[in-house]
Amino acid sequence: MSIFSVKNLECIRRDKVLFQGLDFMLEDGDLLQIDGINGSGKSTLLQLCVGLIRATTGTIFWNAENIIDCRYQFQSNISYIGHADGIKADLTVQENITLMHSLSGSPAAVDYPSILKLIGVAGTEKVFVKRLSAGQRRRIGLARLFMTPAKLWLLDEPFNTLDKYGKTIIEQLIVQHCATGGMVIFAAHQLLEMADYTLQHIHLGHH
Amino acid sequence: MRAYLNIFFVIVRRDLLLAFRNKAEWTNPLLFFIIVIMLFPLAFGSDPTLLKQLTASIIWVAALLSTCLSLETIFRTDFEDGSIEQFILSRYPLLLTVNAKILAHWISAGIPLILIALVTGFVLSLSNQTMFALCTTLLLGTPILSLIGAITAALTIGLRGGMLLSLLILPLYIPVLIFSMLAIQNATVGQSITAEIYFLAGILVLALTLAPIATSVALRIRLS
Repeated sequence: MSIFSVKNLECIRRDKVLFQGLDFMLEDGDLLQIDGINGSGKSTLLQLCVGLIRATTGTIFWNAENIIDCRYQFQSNISYIGHADGIKADLTVQENITLMHSLSGSPAAVDYPSILKLIGVAGTEKVFVKRLSAGQRRRIGLARLFMTPAKLWLLDEPFNTLDKYGKTIIEQLIVQHCATGGMVIFAAHQLLEMADYTLQHIHLGHH
Repeated sequence: MRAYLNIFFVIVRRDLLLAFRNKAEWTNPLLFFIIVIMLFPLAFGSDPTLLKQLTASIIWVAALLSTCLSLETIFRTDFEDGSIEQFILSRYPLLLTVNAKILAHWISAGIPLILIALVTGFVLSLSNQTMFALCTTLLLGTPILSLIGAITAALTIGLRGGMLLSLLILPLYIPVLIFSMLAIQNATVGQSITAEIYFLAGILVLALTLAPIATSVALRIRLS
C-alpha cells in the first residue's frame, strides 16, 4: 500500500498565483485528472509533484515522507512523461527503447516487437526517430510505461498529437495500471472515455 | 553497484554513439582546432626557431578555444528533447549520469585533440622533452577542461548563444593554461617539470571530485 499526498500546495510564477492551498491524496488504484485552461499551471503542478521544481509553500509526501528527503526512493517509484518525449532523434527506435529500459531499472527483459506492436509502430525498430512523425514519437515516448516497474505515473498531456487509436491504447494502459493497484496523475483538457473507472478531478484556473 | 556501473557505461556508449552519428557537430571543433594552429605560422612568417618556441603555446590556446565549441553541445540536445528530465527523475543518481556524460565528452573531444597535437608536434619537429611535456600537460589538462566546462555548460543550458559559454569558461581555464605553459617552458630549457605536473594533477583531482557535483546542481537549478 502506497500513498501519495499533497498538502497545502501553493505555486506563484511571475507574480501570479497559479494555485493555492491545494490538497489531494492518491492511494493504490486511484486515477486523477488535472484539467484547466492553457497557462493554468497543469504542467507546473506535475513538475512540482515529481520534484523537478520546488513549491513556494506546501509539502508533497510519498508514504508520509517528504519527497525531498527520500528522493531516490520516491524516484524509483515514479514514471514521469513531460511535454518533451525524452527520446533521441539520432538514435533508432530500438536503441531508444533499450535506453529507456536500462534507465527504468526494470529487471524483466523487454520484448521490443510486441511493445512496438502494442503502441502501433510495429516494424520501426531500425528507423531513426528523426524520420518519424510527431505522433509516432509521442507513442515511443509513452512506450516507457510498458517497461517501468514504477507505481505512480505522472503524465503531462499524454494524448497530445496522438490519433484516436493511440488515445485509446494509452487510456486502456492507464486504466489497466490503476486496476492492478497503480496510481496515475495526468494532465489533459479533453474529456476521457474511461467512464467505467472512478476518476478524481482537479480543476485549475477560474473557469 | 553492478547496476550503477552498467548505467554508467550505457550512457557513455549512448553519448559516443550520438557524437559519432552527428559527425558535423563532432568534427567541427576538431577542424577549428587544426585551422587555428595553422593560422599562426601564416601570421608569424616562416621563422623556424620562433615557430618552435611558440608551437606548444599555440596548441594549448587552440585546445581551449576548441573545447569551448565542443562543450556547447554537451547538454543542449538532452535539454531540448527532455532527456535531462528523465535523467534527473530516474532511480539512478544524476551524478552518475553527469560523470558518464563528461567522460564521453572527453573521449570524443579531448582525446582527438591530444592526437592532433601529437601529429602537429612531430610535423613541426619539437624536441623530445617539449613533446613529452606537451603530451603530459594535455593528458592531464583536457579532462580538467571537460570537467570545469561541464559546470558552465550546465549553467548556460537553454540560453541561446555559445558566446556566453566561452566568456564564462575561458577565465576558469587560466590556471590550467599557466601550469601547462610553465611545464612546457621548463621542458624546453631542459629543467624538471615535476612541480607543474603535480599541480595539474592536483587540479584534476579537485575537478574530478567537485565539478560533477556542481554540474548536477546547476542542471537541477536550470530545470526548475
